[in-house]
Amino acid sequence: MNNHIDTLVHSLAKICGSKNISVDPNVLNPYSSDMSFFKGNNPNLIVWPSKTQEVTKIIKLANQMDFSIVPVSSSSNDRHHGDTIPRKDNCIIMNLTKMDKILSIDKKNRVVMIEPGVTFEKLIPKLQQSGLRLLLPLYPTGTKSVLTSVLEREPIIIPRYHWDTSDPLLCTEVVFGTGDLFRTGTAAGPGTLSQQKKAGQAHVNPMGPTQFSPYRVIQGAQGSLGIVTWATMKLEFIPSEQKVFHYHSNNIEELLDFQQKLANYRLCDETFILNNLNLACLVKKSREEIENLTNSLLKWNLIYILAGRGNLAIDKLNYLEGDINDLMRDSNLTHLESSNLIDKNEILECMNNYTAEPWRTRYKGSYQDIFFISNFENIPKYIKKVELKHPENLGIYIQPINQGTSYHCEFDLFYDSENGSETNDLEGKFNEISIDLMDCGAFFNRPYGYWAREVYARHIEQTSTALRKVKKIFDPNNVLNPGVLCFDK
Amino acid sequence: MLQKQVLENFQKIVGPENVDDSEVMTNAYSYNWCMEFVNSSEGKEPIPFSSIPKAVILPSTVEEVQQIVRLCNQYKIQFKAQSTGLGPWNQPSSENCVILDLRRMNKIVKIDHRSLYAVVEPYVSGAQLQAETMKFGLTVHMPGAGPQVSPLASATSMNGPGFTSPHTGHSARNVLGVEWVLPDGEILKLGSVGMKNDSDWYIGDGPGPSLRGIMRGWAGAKSGIGVFTKVAFKLFPYPCSTKFKLSGNSPDYEFEIPDYMKLYVMDCKSYSHLEKVFLAIEEEEISFICSHLSGYGLGAIFSNSIGSLMDKIPIAGMLVPLVVLIAARTKREFEYKQKVMSKILIDFNLENVIGSKYTPNSLFYAEALRSNLGLHGFIATGGFQSSKGQCDTVKVCVKTTKESIPLKKKYIKKGVIGNDFGEGVWITSYESGHYFHIESPTMFDQTDEKSVKGMAENMEENYQFDLLKHLGAPFFVEGDKMHDLFGPEMMNYHIWLRKIKKAFDPNGIADSGFYISAK
Ligand SMILES: Cc1cc2nc3c(=O)[nH]c(=O)nc-3n(C[C@H](O)[C@H](O)[C@H](O)COP(=O)(O)OP(=O)(O)OC[C@H]3O[C@@H](n4cnc5c(N)ncnc54)[C@H](O)[C@@H]3O)c2cc1C
Repeated sequence: MNNHIDTLVHSLAKICGSKNISVDPNVLNPYSSDMSFFKGNNPNLIVWPSKTQEVTKIIKLANQMDFSIVPVSSSSNDRHHGDTIPRKDNCIIMNLTKMDKILSIDKKNRVVMIEPGVTFEKLIPKLQQSGLRLLLPLYPTGTKSVLTSVLEREPIIIPRYHWDTSDPLLCTEVVFGTGDLFRTGTAAGPGTLSQQKKAGQAHVNPMGPTQFSPYRVIQGAQGSLGIVTWATMKLEFIPSEQKVFHYHSNNIEELLDFQQKLANYRLCDETFILNNLNLACLVKKSREEIENLTNSLLKWNLIYILAGRGNLAIDKLNYLEGDINDLMRDSNLTHLESSNLIDKNEILECMNNYTAEPWRTRYKGSYQDIFFISNFENIPKYIKKVELKHPENLGIYIQPINQGTSYHCEFDLFYDSENGSETNDLEGKFNEISIDLMDCGAFFNRPYGYWAREVYARHIEQTSTALRKVKKIFDPNNVLNPGVLCFDK
Repeated sequence: MLQKQVLENFQKIVGPENVDDSEVMTNAYSYNWCMEFVNSSEGKEPIPFSSIPKAVILPSTVEEVQQIVRLCNQYKIQFKAQSTGLGPWNQPSSENCVILDLRRMNKIVKIDHRSLYAVVEPYVSGAQLQAETMKFGLTVHMPGAGPQVSPLASATSMNGPGFTSPHTGHSARNVLGVEWVLPDGEILKLGSVGMKNDSDWYIGDGPGPSLRGIMRGWAGAKSGIGVFTKVAFKLFPYPCSTKFKLSGNSPDYEFEIPDYMKLYVMDCKSYSHLEKVFLAIEEEEISFICSHLSGYGLGAIFSNSIGSLMDKIPIAGMLVPLVVLIAARTKREFEYKQKVMSKILIDFNLENVIGSKYTPNSLFYAEALRSNLGLHGFIATGGFQSSKGQCDTVKVCVKTTKESIPLKKKYIKKGVIGNDFGEGVWITSYESGHYFHIESPTMFDQTDEKSVKGMAENMEENYQFDLLKHLGAPFFVEGDKMHDLFGPEMMNYHIWLRKIKKAFDPNGIADSGFYISAK
C-alpha cells in the first residue's frame, strides 16, 4: 500500500470502521471492469458506509483529500454499462449495499421509502405482503438495486402509470458532491421528516422545493452529482385479477398501431412488444427451450395485461375487453394472431416478479444492449437498420413509455463472451450499430460508457454547457464519478 | 423610456411597430390584477400598479427573443416575459426592465395525435389548443386559471393544478421537449429536440440529467430563468364524446351534455370521512374531476352572479362536499364507472344530490370540460387570491384545511375578506390520487384599501402558520424575501437556487422579483 492510500484507509476507518473498508485486490478487481466493453481504471479501495452521515463524511473527505468516488448499490456483480468503472486514478468505490433498509411502506398513500441497497428480491415480496406492487422494469434481476434502476430511468412496463419520465421516483435524500445533505420534493420541508410525517405528509410530491426540482438532475446523472441515501417511490395496488393477452404477427407496424391505441386509451396495464427470441428468453430458461419457442412464434409478439381489483374486478375486465375488441374490429387488423404457445402464468411471473439470473443472459451467456428513446414513427426504421447489420442472435424489445408519448427501443446482441473472436466481432458491431443509430436520430438519453462522447457531440453545444454548470454547482471539485456524461473536462 | 440608441437597436430586431416606450403604453403595462395586494405585502402603497417598464417589446420568433435578451445583457436592462400576462407575477420589479409581450408567438407548432402531444408557442391559449385537439378525440391539461391562459406559461413558468388533474395531471409533469432562451441569450433545447439532426419533441429529459429540474419546480421561475419560446406537452384522451353544442347567449348558454358524463356531489359531512372517500374514489381511477370545495365554493361554481348564488342553498349548505365528475368514451366504460360509484355511495353512506336535490345548468358540464370553473371565484367580491398551495397527501391537505379555519375566521371577523365560514378551500387529486394539493381561495375587495391590506396580512399570517405547523410549502414562495423565510426551514434550498440563478444568469438580466436573485 502506498502512503496516500494508507492515510486514506486510516481516515475512512475513522468514519465507518476498518471492517467496512477493503483494499484486497480480489475484492476490488470486479469493480475495474464489467460486462460492457468499457475499459477504465482500478479503484484504490472500497468502502461500505451504512448511514447517511457516513456518506456525507466520506464525500467531504474526498473534497479535502482529493480523491473521487464511484457509488455502487446493487449487490450482484452483473453490471452492464460501464458507468461504475473508475475513469480516473485515485478513485474509491462507495458500495451502498449495507444501506438496505425498507424505511417505510405506506399502503394508504401508495408509497415506499427505501435505501439504495434494497434489491428487487427483497422489496417485491415485502410489498406483496401488503397488497402493493412496484412499477417494475421488464423482469428485473433480483439482486439489482431498486433505487438505481429508478435513478437510471429504466423503463417501466405499465405505460399508463408512467405519468412523467421520472416515475416512479418521488422524493430523495441526497448528499451532493459538496458533501451537503439535501432532500428533494416535499421532503425538503418545512420541518424535519418526523415533523412532516406528523403533519400527515408521506413525501409523494417529487416537485420542488419551490421553484426547482433537483431530483430531476440527480436522476440520470450516473452518480456524478449526488449520492442518494433514500428515496420514496410510487406504488400501485396488486390487482386481484390479471388477464394475459399474447398476439403475434410478422407485421410490426400493425402490432405497433394496435399497441399505441391500447396505450393511448389507457386500456391495459403492462404492455410491450418483443421479437420471438427475446420473448423466448424472457419466459424459458434453457437454450433448447428458447430455440424451440423462438421457432414456433411469429416474429413479433405483443403482450398486454388487463387488470382489475376488488368486487368489481371482473366487471372491469369485461368492459376493457369489450372496448378492446371493438377497437380491434375497427382497426381492421389482418395479420394479428392470438397465441397460446406460452402458458399465461409464465408470462405473469415475468410481470409480477424478479428473476434470479438476468433473462438476457439465458441464450448465449452474455449480451450487449443498445437502447434509446424513439418517437413512434421511426421504430421500424431502427429495427431495419439493426437487423441489416446483425440479423442473428438479436433480441428486440419495444416499450411505450411516458403514457405512450415515446418508446424505449432495445436491441440485445447475444453472444458467448468465452469465445474471443465472437466477442471481438461483437464489440465492433456494437459500436458501429450504436453510432449508426445515433446518426439517424435515435435519442440515447442514458449515455453510458463510450456512447457519452458521441451522444453529446450530436447534441447542441448548449446542452453540455448547461449540464457542466449544474455539475459545477453540485459537485464543484468533481469528486463524484468523474468523467461520465459530458463531465470529462 | 429607453435611450434613443437602445430603442433603435430594439427596433432593428423587431421593427419599430413592435417596440413601444411611450408613457401611455408603459403605464398601461404597469397595471395588473392583484398588484395592489402584492404592493401591500411589500409595505408599499396598495395600488394596482408595479414599477413602470422601460418599454414593451413584441418579438415574433425565437431568434428575435434571443437578440433582445442579448441586447438586454449588453445594456444591463432586465426583461420580464409574459404570455397572456394576467397576474402580478408578470410585472417588473424595477424601473430598469422591459416587458417581452409574447403575443405574436401564437402558433400551434404541432399536434401529434398518435403520440399524444402538442407543441405550442407562448400565446396559444388552452381553449384554442383544445378546440384543435378535440378533432382527434384528445384534450389538454389546463390550469384552474381557465382556458384563456397559456398552457406554455403554465407548463414552463407557473404552477399547474387544474380541475381535471385526476385525469390530466400537473402542468410541470406533462412537459416533453422545450425551447428556452437562457438569460445570457443562449438557446437551450431540452431532450430529443436538442439533437442536431432529426430532432423531435417527444421527450424533454436527457441526455443524462434532466434540465427540466433547473427550469422549474412545483412552481415555475416566472420569467426569472429565461424565456420559453416553445414547449411540447402531453395530451390526453378526451374523456367523453367530443360533441360540443352550445346555444344561447353569454353567460347563460345552453349546452347539450355529451355522452357519457355524470356528476356526483356528495356531502361527506366530516373531514375524516372526506379523506377516506377521496382515496376510495381515486384508487378506482375513474374520475375526470375529483375536488373538495366548501359549501360556499360549491354554490359558486354553479352560479354566474351573486343573485344566482343565493338560490344554491340546498348545496351551499353542505358541510364537507365532494364533487366528482365521471366521463367515459364508451357505454361499457360509463356503466362500469357508475357501478363503482354506486358501490362507493353505499360503502360510505353517501347521497348524490345531483338529479334529486339539485340539477345544475347544462353549462356546468361545458365549463368542466373546458376547465372554466375557476372564474366563479370572482363573483362574490370581484377579487380573490389563494393562500396555501401545498401539495402532498390528502391527509395533509385536509389537516391544513381544518386547522386553518380559525385563522381565516379571524380575518372574516375583521371584515376584510369574504365570509366563507373559514372553510373555503379547493383540494384536488392528481394522477388518480397519487398526490393532492390544497389552496385557500380568499375573496377580498380590490377597490377597498382596508380589504387589500387585510388580505396581505392574512397571507403573511398563513405563511407563518404553515411554517410553524410543518404543513408544506405554499405556492407563492417566490422573491428573495419569501425564499429567505422558507429556505432555512427547508434544507437551505435557497442557497442552491441562488447558485443556479448565478450560473444561468450571470448578469442578473431576467427579472427575479418573483424568483430569486443571486445576491
Ligand atoms: C384567477 C386565476 C386563477 C388561477 N388559478 C390557477 C390554478 O388553478 N392553477 C394554476 O396552475 N394556476 C392558476 N393561476 C395562475 C395561472 O397558472 C397562470 O396565470 C397561467 O397558467 C399561466 O398562463 P398565463 O397565460 O396567464 O401566463 P402569464 O400570466 O403570461 O405568465 C405567468 C408567469 O410566467 C412568466 N412567463 C410567461 N410566459 C413566459 C415565457 N414564455 N417564458 C418565461 N416566462 C414566462 C410570466 O412572467 C409570469 O411570471 C391562476 C391565475 C388566475 C389569474
